[in-house]
Amino acid sequence: MLVTYAQAINAAMKEEMRRDDKMVIFGEDVAQHGGIFGVTRGLWDEFGSDRVKNTPVSENAIAAVGVGAAVFGLRPCIEFMYSDFMLVAYNEIFQSVSKWRYLHGPQYSVPLVIRSAAGSAFGAGAEHSNCVESLFLHSPGLTMITPSTAYDAKGLLKSAIRSNNPVLFFEQKQLYQVKEEIPDDEYLIPIGVADIKRPGKDVTIIAVGLMVRRALEAAEKLAAEGIDAEVIDPRTIAPLDRETLFGSIRKTHRAVIVEESSKTGGLGAEWAAMIQEELYDSMDAPVQRVAALDVPLPYNVAYEVAAIPDADRIISAVKTLF
Amino acid sequence: MSYPKEKLLEMYRSLLGDRILEERLIELYAQGWVPGHIHSGVGEEASYTGVLATRREGDCYKFTHRNVSAYSDVGVSYRHIFCEILGRMGGNSEGKGGINHIADKDKGVIGMAGALGCDIAIATGVSYALKLQSSGNMVYCFLGDGTTSRGPVHEAMNWAGVWKLPILYIVNNNEFSISTHVSEGCSIPNPGAGRAAGYGMPAKLVDATDVLEVYDAAKELSDYVRSGNGPAVLETKGYRWRGHFEGDQARYRDAAVANEWHKRDCVKNLESYLKEKDLLSDAEIEAIREETKAAIEDGIAFAEKAEQPKLSAIYDNIFAEPYEN
Repeated sequence: MLVTYAQAINAAMKEEMRRDDKMVIFGEDVAQHGGIFGVTRGLWDEFGSDRVKNTPVSENAIAAVGVGAAVFGLRPCIEFMYSDFMLVAYNEIFQSVSKWRYLHGPQYSVPLVIRSAAGSAFGAGAEHSNCVESLFLHSPGLTMITPSTAYDAKGLLKSAIRSNNPVLFFEQKQLYQVKEEIPDDEYLIPIGVADIKRPGKDVTIIAVGLMVRRALEAAEKLAAEGIDAEVIDPRTIAPLDRETLFGSIRKTHRAVIVEESSKTGGLGAEWAAMIQEELYDSMDAPVQRVAALDVPLPYNVAYEVAAIPDADRIISAVKTLF
Repeated sequence: MSYPKEKLLEMYRSLLGDRILEERLIELYAQGWVPGHIHSGVGEEASYTGVLATRREGDCYKFTHRNVSAYSDVGVSYRHIFCEILGRMGGNSEGKGGINHIADKDKGVIGMAGALGCDIAIATGVSYALKLQSSGNMVYCFLGDGTTSRGPVHEAMNWAGVWKLPILYIVNNNEFSISTHVSEGCSIPNPGAGRAAGYGMPAKLVDATDVLEVYDAAKELSDYVRSGNGPAVLETKGYRWRGHFEGDQARYRDAAVANEWHKRDCVKNLESYLKEKDLLSDAEIEAIREETKAAIEDGIAFAEKAEQPKLSAIYDNIFAEPYEN
């Protein structure tokens, strides 16, 4: 069926709500309104006010109520309107969501999914456009998923909901309305498995979220110039599918990491360090990072476009490796 | 109000057990057995005992860093408690959580967050899960006067009021958050009871040194909460006998005031009441004391001999198994 990325996410929740009556959904404006991006539309109508609930504007409590409900028998899939707002609940996510089991022992588990809308959206500004995955990489216990297609989003969200561990699920605002053909039948995608979006032999481009599309665009242009790029979407940021990444780099001997968040302290910093530690002898060139400029994302759209990587910047980075 | 003898004796045993544990913990800490810090709740036991005497099978509990003896009131064994405090095997976390994370899910213990106040909303989330079970169960969520200034507490209380969740917030007002007097942290006299109306909750204010007064108020409020009316606040007014943690000499406050409070001893108050009513003799008190002491010493001895966790298990329990449902 032909669905948008948002509809695919909606379908995943609907199927899982039907499958498991312990699953609940809550967040700001998620009930009658269906969320400000419309992702939970129709769920309140089908599942009612006990299981699909609006909350007060209280992000600390949204995360924390999620923990308590998850530990004591429910399977909450909760929404943060913007992933930026997860920073309001940074302590709860970094300290409680991720560590409750480790600190209290094996009787305790936190089957909680925190969904949120991430990334730039043409003028959303510096506090509604961030990609915050790297800020949570530092807390063991969190699973993080950033899907770049409707197909991946649906299959991975279903796995996230069934996980007995906490998952942060980052939806890409610019992809919400992108349409794609996905299977009619139920399917799941395992957590922790990267996807090779375009096979190639000369360079490995590791791209996340919205950047996967830009990396694919860059790869097509590079092909015309005789460079055959392999584009890998990790899909799961944590735990990372190191095997697939390393297998590709051992083949191409070159790696470029593309992310939408700013460069300093980003995913690329961590992954580049990891690649040099593990694969130094396989590399023909240093790992390159293509990331947003180190600025608060400005409001003016021309500024915004300049700050975030596009295909040309990816192409330039790739060419420095040859 | 009249009380069944069994209820009174149950409260006395619990009060005395908590007192002995809180005092013994101070000694253990001084002897260097405790890896972290302890926050003695000696003198404040009635706030826990009186409230917990209203609990029912299936209820859940969120305690605090002070009065870790409360875990024994809901059935966590002394052996378990002391193993966790000493960081040994035989507790709940296998050496990873410690004194602030004593827990037993089967007994309804929710756990605790190190940044005080964040767990008030976690306990509120548990009450949502209980509400959906329609079992008449509720959450008892304890916090101190200092913690009431944290934002997450207000988010949680507001939320519980809106969703009419079955949770009783017990604000143990011992007048101090470390060195800061409650009057420097809150602009009204009663940080718990005084704020409850803003969240649509009824509240009661009681003398924390009178376990029966605590019990009466907790009974009324817990009946209200269990009946589906929504959350409530009970504020118990007492005094922190010792420093914030062991080693804190509490030089920032007037020792004379502290000494006055020491005379208002919740254990002695109940003892006097029971003796006055001819419900308990000195010999019986002594017998209960010896029996309780022996149980606590057994817990300590067990923990001191308990195994240290294996270093190879340091990665265990970051993730639940099976990973997927």
